[in-house]
Formats: sequence, structure tokens, C-alpha cells
Amino acid sequence: MASRWLPKGDGLPHFRIHTDTTEFFGVEYGDIVVLDGVPFLIRHNAKEGRFGLDDEVKFWVKRAIDLRNGDRKFIKMVFHEKFMAHVGSLAFECFRSPGKEARILDLVATHKNFMHGYSVKDEKGNIIRIIDLISGIPLSRHVQQIEADHQDYYHGQFPAILDQFVACIEAIRFLHDHGEKHGDIRRDHIFIDRDTGDYRWIDFDFNYRHRENIYGYDLFGLGNVLIFLAGKGDILIQDLIEQKHPAVGTLGQDDVGIIFNNRIVNLQKIFPYVSDSLNRILMHFSKGANWFYENTAQLLDDLGAFRQSLTIPS
Amino acid sequence: MVTEERVFNKNILIAVDDSDNSRRAVSYVAQMLGGVGGFKVAVLHVLAEAEEDYFSTTEEKEKWFSQYAKKVGAMLENYRQILLQAGFDPKDVSVRSPVRYCPSMAECILAERDTTQYHTLVVGRQGLSRSEEFLFGSVSSKIVNHAKNCTVWVVE
Repeated sequence: MASRWLPKGDGLPHFRIHTDTTEFFGVEYGDIVVLDGVPFLIRHNAKEGRFGLDDEVKFWVKRAIDLRNGDRKFIKMVFHEKFMAHVGSLAFECFRSPGKEARILDLVATHKNFMHGYSVKDEKGNIIRIIDLISGIPLSRHVQQIEADHQDYYHGQFPAILDQFVACIEAIRFLHDHGEKHGDIRRDHIFIDRDTGDYRWIDFDFNYRHRENIYGYDLFGLGNVLIFLAGKGDILIQDLIEQKHPAVGTLGQDDVGIIFNNRIVNLQKIFPYVSDSLNRILMHFSKGANWFYENTAQLLDDLGAFRQSLTIPS
Repeated sequence: MVTEERVFNKNILIAVDDSDNSRRAVSYVAQMLGGVGGFKVAVLHVLAEAEEDYFSTTEEKEKWFSQYAKKVGAMLENYRQILLQAGFDPKDVSVRSPVRYCPSMAECILAERDTTQYHTLVVGRQGLSRSEEFLFGSVSSKIVNHAKNCTVWVVE
């Protein structure tokens, strides 16, 4: 069954078969994991790269092949990681929660803006998530690969990208309405499905110990992605200084992000054609904001009004 | 037009946790009203149900919650003593620690107030930075914005 996926060699291969995945480091390339009677051939560990850093190996996430039909999957094993996350100068407690991700997979099983999959328990009760692969690239890479200058991008590609991102925010509202957080909203946690063109959220196993606003960190993430999309990348103070950009002298401390103080949020100062209504939305995530979005509905209302004011490109 | 004057009772609910600002809120009420007479004070801490996802086993969760409830019991007794030492009659001071599912502590505190007859709610101000308030939210700000049918004292 499995040998057709392996390189041809001398004699029959010997497989190690796992039904208990507690020690995920011991589950290696070429092993078989049997979950709820279904055999999966394990391939490489998954990797995740960010901000140009080397890819980080995620030993608890394996690429695999469903040996019943050859479908490619990710198998996410249980890793109870707890740590302090640092965002800007703030720290808060984060943890991985397989149960949360399993619940959300059930919740979004037919939702086009999320990755899909299911969960199953191994023989020791570990909650294993079996995830369908999405053919496509992260939104961050897509935007960075667009060769147009900002003005052409803003009037050309951006409206359609924004429409898709609004659908992603609607999807997060759907989670929040069901009492769930995404937990790790990032520009590279949206994949563009090559087959359908839909933008799809991935990786929901992160969780954080919230304080008063249970969804505050998700909203912060949405704001970051929106600013990134509107700016066609991060607009960093250091880069503007190096470029001797004429707007540098006009920038004040209210124009930067409330958490990341090196990123420009007041994009209109850099790109004067950015509309007032969009810039007002962005400024809710700035250091100068006197009012913050408390929920996704408020953000969606404002974005809807802005989107209506845009000309749809032909 | 003459409107009927609303009558406020002298029941005061102090919502607390183990922070310095909560202690200041209790001390404020103790200093302002201790020995005056006629006031009834309840010190409230809502025991937020343990987050299921945070714990790898049910046993771990139950152990954590048991320790948390014990710690809260000691904290509330400590605050009660502050009020008694300031001159409150023991029969006028109570403590409450109901267990609730609490996605928002402010909403839980307001829900508790709604089930009781306390016309004044006292909280300490956390003194969050703008960025902390943005990312985490502020209990006292939310209480001030959402409280109905009561007066809120925010102690700095």
C-alpha cells in the first residue's frame, strides 16, 4: 500500500507503525501512523518561515499521505506549548490548544475562508488534526510579488484584494460569534487557494489568555494585515529615512502603529491618494487613536463604507 | 417638567482582584465610609471558570481552579478585615465569589450587580497604557461605558 509512494530500492521496505503519537519526535519520515483505522504515510516535518528568517521546523506537524486514496494531508500532533508572547513592549501568555483547533475545524467545515480538516484521537487520546493541503501561496507573498508601483497597485489590484480580505474578516466575525478566537492572525496565515481564488485562514491552534477584550489580539492582527495590504508592504520609518522620503519631516508620533512604533499607519502622508475614509480606518490602529475597534462588526461597517466609495476596476 | 426623584440605597459593591488598584478601592471605601453607619458593603470577586483549552487534562484544570478559589477566599477575607478595621459593623460587610463563565470580566461584574440591590459599584483603575488598553481591553473603562442603573466610582 505504502511502497508505491517510496523510492524503489532493494527488497521490501520495513515500516514502523505508530498508533500513539505522544512522542511526536519519534514519528519520522517513512513511518506509518494509523488513526481511527486509517493509515497515513509520514513524509517531512512541516516548516514555517516568516520575515525572511529561515524556516522553522514544526516537529509536531507532519506532511503525510492518506494511503487509502493518496490525498496529501498535514497531520498535526499534540504539542502543549506554553510561552510568553511579546508584541512590541507588551507580554502575554500564549499556548497551543489542539482542542480549540479541532472545535474550529468542525465549525468551519463548509466555510470557504478557512482551511479544512477533521480531528481524531490516537490510541492515547491525543487530539490529532488531519488537515487538507491548500494549493497556493500566502497572501503576504502574493502582495510582495506584485510588481506595480504603489499608486497603480492601490487603484488596480488593491480593491479586489480588499474584497477578499473583507471576506476573511467576515470569517473571523463568524468565529467570534461562536465564541472562538483565531489566536494567531498574520499576513502569512491567509493562503490564496489557487483552485478557487478564495483567501483562507490557516492554523487555529494558537490561543492566548485574554484579559478584558477576548478578541483584542485578533483585532490587532486584522489591523496589521489591513495596513500591510493598503501599504503594499510595511512602510517602515527607517526605510523612509534611508530613502530621504519628503514625508519624513511631516511624520509625528501619532502616525505610527500603537504597538509597532516603527511602522507607519498614517499612509496618506506617504501616499496622498489614499482615501480619507480608508486612512481613518487605519488610524484606529495608530498611536494617535482615541478610540479602538472593539469588534469585527465595527471594522467591517467602516470598510464597507470605504469599499462602496471605490471604483471597481474593469 | 418635574421628574420623580430616584431613591438610591446605601449598598455598595466593590469589585476586586488581587491588584494594588483593587486594594486602593477597598481602602477608599473604608476611609470614606468606615464608622459612618447605614452603609452595606459587599466585596465581589467573580471566579472566572477555568479556560478549558489552557489545561492538558481535566485534573490539571480542577487542581488549578481549586487553588485559585482558595486564594480568592483569602484575598476577600483580607479586604473584609480592612473594612472592619475602618469601623464597619461586621453584619454590614459581606464577600461574594460566584463562579461564572467570563469572556468579559466587566460584563460578569455588571451581571452580578444586576442580580443584587447595590446602587453603587466601586472599582480600581488599572492604569493601563494606551497600547495595553488597545490589546487587552480595560475592565474599568468597559464598566463605566456599559453600567446601567447604578453609579460607578473608579478609584485611582
